[in-house]
Amino acid sequence: MQTSTGHQHPMTRMIAEINDIFSKIGFEYAEGPEAELEKYNFDRVNVPKDHPSRDMQDTFWFKGKDAVEPTVLRTHTSPVQARYLEKNEPPIKIIVPGKVFRNETTDATHEAQFYQLEGLYVDEGVHLGHLKGTLEYFFTEFFSGKTEVRFRPSFFPFVEPGIEVDMKLLEGNSKQVGKWIEVMGAGMVHPNLLKVAGINSKKYSGFAFGMGIDRLGVMKYGVEDVRDFYTGDLRFVNQF
Amino acid sequence: MKVVHSWLKEYVGESLPNAQTIEDLLNFHAFEIDGVEEVSGETVIDVDVLPNRASDCLSHRGIARELATILDTTLENDPLAHAPQLEATDSITVSIEDPQACPRFTASLITGIKVKESPQWLQARLKALGQRSVNNVVDATNYVMYAMGQPLHAYDADLFPQSEGKWQFVVRYAKEGETINLLSEGGKAEERIVELNGTELLIVDGSSDTPIGLAGVKGGSYARVHAETKNIIVEAAHFHPTLTRKTARRLGIVIDASKRFENEPSRELPPYGQSEIIKLITDIAGGKCEGIVDEYLEKKENPKVTLTLKQTNALLGLELSIDEVAKLIARTGSTVEVHEDSLVAQGPFERTDLHIEEDFIEEVGRLYGLDKIASVVPATTLITTINARQYYGEKIRQCLLGLGFSEVVTSSFHKKGKIQLQNALASDKSYVRGNLSKNLHQVLDANFSHTDMLGLRDVRVFEIGTVFSKSDTAITEHLSLALGVRTKGNGFTAPDERLLVSACDALEELLSTSLAWDKEKGVAELNLSEVLEQLPEPTAYEAVPEKAPMQYQSVSAYPAISRDIALWVTEGTSADDVLSVLNAAAGELWLRTDLFDEFTKDGKTSFAFRIVFQSMDKTLTDDEVSKNMEAVYKEVASKDWKVR
Repeated sequence: MQTSTGHQHPMTRMIAEINDIFSKIGFEYAEGPEAELEKYNFDRVNVPKDHPSRDMQDTFWFKGKDAVEPTVLRTHTSPVQARYLEKNEPPIKIIVPGKVFRNETTDATHEAQFYQLEGLYVDEGVHLGHLKGTLEYFFTEFFSGKTEVRFRPSFFPFVEPGIEVDMKLLEGNSKQVGKWIEVMGAGMVHPNLLKVAGINSKKYSGFAFGMGIDRLGVMKYGVEDVRDFYTGDLRFVNQF
Repeated sequence: MKVVHSWLKEYVGESLPNAQTIEDLLNFHAFEIDGVEEVSGETVIDVDVLPNRASDCLSHRGIARELATILDTTLENDPLAHAPQLEATDSITVSIEDPQACPRFTASLITGIKVKESPQWLQARLKALGQRSVNNVVDATNYVMYAMGQPLHAYDADLFPQSEGKWQFVVRYAKEGETINLLSEGGKAEERIVELNGTELLIVDGSSDTPIGLAGVKGGSYARVHAETKNIIVEAAHFHPTLTRKTARRLGIVIDASKRFENEPSRELPPYGQSEIIKLITDIAGGKCEGIVDEYLEKKENPKVTLTLKQTNALLGLELSIDEVAKLIARTGSTVEVHEDSLVAQGPFERTDLHIEEDFIEEVGRLYGLDKIASVVPATTLITTINARQYYGEKIRQCLLGLGFSEVVTSSFHKKGKIQLQNALASDKSYVRGNLSKNLHQVLDANFSHTDMLGLRDVRVFEIGTVFSKSDTAITEHLSLALGVRTKGNGFTAPDERLLVSACDALEELLSTSLAWDKEKGVAELNLSEVLEQLPEPTAYEAVPEKAPMQYQSVSAYPAISRDIALWVTEGTSADDVLSVLNAAAGELWLRTDLFDEFTKDGKTSFAFRIVFQSMDKTLTDDEVSKNMEAVYKEVASKDWKVR
């Protein structure tokens, strides 16, 4: 047996591909902490304390004795939006791939840790058509085949209007070709996020989206149980 | 929110489409549908109402109105169409301590009723929603809540003492240490006594200052309606959403009523709820309404919002006219005042979610049709910042892959550790990881038994990931890199260290810097964040290596069995020639074959192969594998190759 080349984990491989695809149209790779302050994870992205929208995500909290400011394991990559908006002026074009956490029971489609891809584009005149065009470009590149995108109304506190995005692969060998699949939440950045960051919401508008990279892996590689990504089992990794 | 099709029809009328069409309409214009099912002869649609519409659409009337909006029609029978005209009574008094906490409280007196079983149609509808029928009075309060979104509570008026000839309701904050008897879940007989901390809002019998209800959260067992009840008082009120939510969450009482109150239904709703329940109770339990008291201290009108045509089209990417926008908004029941290129809109009273311009723009988009938005690819710009973690992370990965290391991504949680989470549900996720090494040791242990089936001589792995620590005041974190080697099944041995050191050296060379490794038993770890700070700023990402498309195959849950075979062949016979013969002969259970030794002597070549067998359905026995090996030996013999 020769020493063979090692195998890259599909998660970091997908992130490299995602970065490659988005950097080509000018989206920069941004990052933020996994142990996130409550204020960025929730308040600054328009999820106030004691509001029912907090129920949408089950949260891991750190103990008060360990952190003076209330701290959570980030439940989404959206706090990086708030952090980035605070420090930068439009035009803003970023993606944020990163690990996120949900305090919930796990099964084949849910894991307590998973990866999310956040996208944010703020400039003058950005609209929902740009969101659609950007996502179609991304999916077509990522799945190496023509892809259609469909919008449905939804609600996420950090966007208004809020959109649920479905996609359909139009060609290729995947089992998923021809089927509409729900892939992500998106929408136009809520004016509260812009205002709190000191950005004029009448002059600038933006779109934001967030999707599970694990789910992209399920579609791209036919992985059936998302927990397989995190077992450290080479019988999984070495197939990639 | 589960809704019953026949119930929606009462509001919408005969023009209501079938469940399939409703599913599509709601899905593309309002809400996702979680499912449609038949329950005791009723078609039930499970609508996923999200927090923005939980104020008006956790009700049949709300969903019916939404359908009318989408269909551009009006409700044939709308219980919110006309303000109810209800006789007043002076036999009930209401006193509210804090009008912010309870802006409105109504109570009606209904006399001469008869408590009995609910009529079949009512039982059937509650059953379709998964609710148990109790009696006609209790069922009526539940029915009106599911119909209108207004929670209600009924008291036996004769068990509720009067003072100075009046029933006296008081709404006040609890006192610290005060207790209340709550109705148990599902109307069962036993009581639940809850001690209060003073933040809760109570409904109190003013004659004796006895708490009788946890406002907005749950009714008390006080003056319960029973089989012989003749006269009732029905309460319908509005309580502060946040206050309700805090109490409900703290006490762990999240029920249909509290869920509605915490989503801020309209303050206009209580009298409409009263009007409906009075009609229903006098219909199914007889009796007569003596009148109602309506204490309305703090009105809250929906705001008038200015909407510009420019902003509407700018956000949606559409080219609508002001008249089109006005018509779409009017469909929601909002009042619209049209100007040249803007309009002023005010949502109908039950739509407490329409606050800002963007809220109305969302209404325009979803009613017009999000499918009509055309794709535009944004202008391409050049990136100016290269992310160092991603750049150097990939560089390190490609280097380690070249040295035979595979990458893993492991759990950020540990069962034991230094930083404990406050509320982890699962015991194996109680702590966050402070290093990667612990996981890598486990990965090495777990994977060694798979080396044969993976065709590996040893296990080499690495991970790049975040680990946590704490300062005096906060949780801190950094990016860590760890790599591990295992060459023998029984644990760490000296050759592990040699392979590890050479990989560490290769990384030092790659990054042209000295690295401070923490090494222990075949695993080396490094604070990568610190290293990145010292490396030069990258200027461009490197190309992502090409990779052919692949589909993952599930791994067998059963162990693999391997057999070695060594044989002499004539010099010039290639290993591949032999492999294809062996593989073809090995049969169905064959998984893989790897060459592990080769030398040539006196015109003959010796090959040693390891053949691995595995079943997807069972643990293989030696006998089964031996049969397959016999077939291999037979085929080898027929080729004149000599087994050593």
